Amino acid sequence: MGFSSDPRARFNLEQVSILLLDETPLGMSILVQVMNGFGARKLHRCDSVAKAEHVVRETELDLLIVDAMASGGGYDFVHWLRSSGIRPNCYAPVLLTAAHTPAAAVTNARDCGAHIVMAKPLTPKAVLDRIVWVARTGRRFVESDKFVGPDRRFKEAGVPEKVGVGRRREDVVPGKGQG
Amino acid sequence: MSESSKIHVPDVPLGRLIRMPGGKSAGQAIADAEQGLASLQGESMKELNRVLAKAETFYARADGKFDALVVSAFYELINGAIGLPTAGKDRAIDTMLVSLADLLDYYRTSGDWGDKSVQVHLATFQLLLKTEGVRDPQGTELILAGLRKVSRKAAKG
Repeated sequence: MGFSSDPRARFNLEQVSILLLDETPLGMSILVQVMNGFGARKLHRCDSVAKAEHVVRETELDLLIVDAMASGGGYDFVHWLRSSGIRPNCYAPVLLTAAHTPAAAVTNARDCGAHIVMAKPLTPKAVLDRIVWVARTGRRFVESDKFVGPDRRFKEAGVPEKVGVGRRREDVVPGKGQG
Repeated sequence: MSESSKIHVPDVPLGRLIRMPGGKSAGQAIADAEQGLASLQGESMKELNRVLAKAETFYARADGKFDALVVSAFYELINGAIGLPTAGKDRAIDTMLVSLADLLDYYRTSGDWGDKSVQVHLATFQLLLKTEGVRDPQGTELILAGLRKVSRKAAKG
């Protein structure tokens, strides 16, 4: 998918308000260590869907990292978020993390309204690449009777423009020049 | 009759915030995150030992035949453990867990049960935990390749 990142590129997560949802204490610790390492300071840790819904109602969020969870509650939470009409949170980028991903889980993830699904095990580099990617793309949002969320139709267009990392020849989208 | 739909590009404040002055280089951020994850290694190993003990209990409860409730709970246990070993820098155990999850997912949807296939995964789980930090990478890769063959063969029937 061309998500490579330049180790010299700078980014700042200090002012970014981030919701983390994971029902397992160690899973939450992993997310917290990764986000603290990235310099994030405004973390809202939720170990249940109920707590996450409360935070969505009370706090303005810029990013959500949601685990699918064994119960499948993560999918339901994202679906609820998108349909909630709570602005601007209902449009916020959502990274969904999932452990084992059989075909049914992939369909669930695609249809619940997440921006990106990440298969575990997570690595800091993979998480950072995807945060940078969702932050810098103007992805279309669809609101219909049957689906609310980022447009599921993708064109493979290499690394999005102005990401600042698409310096390889194959990253340049034909006809668009270098971002 | 067509359904009503609206397509728009919402404002994403994350895009502005991430470009604010200060912050870190990607290389530094990744190094700091990896250092943070290393602090979880002990906790991760302790949890994996707990998962293995519980997995062995499920295996014993299955008693050589398919039991829908046991397989479902067994699958959830293994599914929940995926990702924990890599936090403790142990990708081999994660590979084993994914292979076992593939196998259990197949059993829970097909109603089959392969006692030996599960047993070999659990034996490998035990071996990987006991040899953590002192493994031969090539030998480990051969074992994991063997496991993947077992789970693929089981799924083909």
